[in-house]
Amino acid sequence: MSGEAFFLPADKGYRFCLFTPAVGRVEKAALIYIHPFAEELNKTRRMVALQVRALAESGYSVLQIDLFGCGDSSGDFGDTTWETWGQDVALAFQHLRQRTRVPIWLWGLRAGCLIDGVSAPSLPEKVNLLFWQPILSGKVLLQQFLRLGQAGALMDEAGAKGTGSRLRAELAAGRSIEIAGYRLSPALAESLEKAVLVPAGGGDVSLIWIDVVRREVADISSATTAQLANWASTGLRVEYQTVLGPAFWQTTEIEIAPALLDRTLATLEKAA
Amino acid sequence: MPCLEKKVLEQALNIQIEVLEILDEVLSLKGRAQQFSAATVLLGALPELDSMGVLGVISALEERFGIAVEDDDIDGTTFSTVGSLVAYVSGKLNPQVA
Repeated sequence: MSGEAFFLPADKGYRFCLFTPAVGRVEKAALIYIHPFAEELNKTRRMVALQVRALAESGYSVLQIDLFGCGDSSGDFGDTTWETWGQDVALAFQHLRQRTRVPIWLWGLRAGCLIDGVSAPSLPEKVNLLFWQPILSGKVLLQQFLRLGQAGALMDEAGAKGTGSRLRAELAAGRSIEIAGYRLSPALAESLEKAVLVPAGGGDVSLIWIDVVRREVADISSATTAQLANWASTGLRVEYQTVLGPAFWQTTEIEIAPALLDRTLATLEKAA
Repeated sequence: MPCLEKKVLEQALNIQIEVLEILDEVLSLKGRAQQFSAATVLLGALPELDSMGVLGVISALEERFGIAVEDDDIDGTTFSTVGSLVAYVSGKLNPQVA
């Protein structure tokens, strides 16, 4: 099994894609994978590669796309807009639809889930969703970015007190800020601040949401419970699961969560 | 209130155990954190505690203790030692004592 790497012509350049076809004769479904951002993108490559391989071997094709300004695609992160990323998802969808007639899933990790969720309603057909440890609020995503900036400032002698407010003030003044080597434009920050995910369901589609936890927890957080109810109320079939494993998107060393790989496949097999 | 003090002391010990677990998991220390004491210096002394590490520890603290870390709390003094990090979490859990 090998992936096919190619560049899709797009607005403002091209997007790097990797298509891994289902092994064997039966293609059960096809997934479009949307990555998380900044350092999380690098930390999670291994887990995603492992999952893609396991999926392909079980009859699922996967199209991975690097969004504008990310990975090997055109553009600079600092020049991206929220709308461009949405168009990239639509582009990936069009491309995948030309290749296959099977049901399509949008699979996201962390911030990728937010982009999936926001993009799904404007696609020409209903799609299924697979969320890994989702960040579903643009506000939270922006806060994580700013925190990374603050944490970076901790490393400089002076300490980070006030860094958060300083970064926010820069953005408010219409200036880009640089965090961990990524330039965050005031336009993107503003879009993130406002990005609210409005679940759109209906039709014969599913949402699978899997969180990775460090230990068994009795209760689902109230924020997650509310989100799940919100999605279910749109008529979507909602399946929420937790698996034990390391927070591989942020651990210092590249780690894997084998339970997530197995559970994802098992849950997809039931839903697809 | 000696009774309350004892309770707070016990809680602080439990918090320290959990904080060390979090450091070990998030920073991939492979058990090294179990040798840490309250006086162990973190920031600047522990190479694994880079900016992503700090972010990971904050997320894990929020998740594990159900606290909300404010922007202004992300400060060199909070992350300077195991003891300062534990004191920070205790303060969040017991605002009246801190």
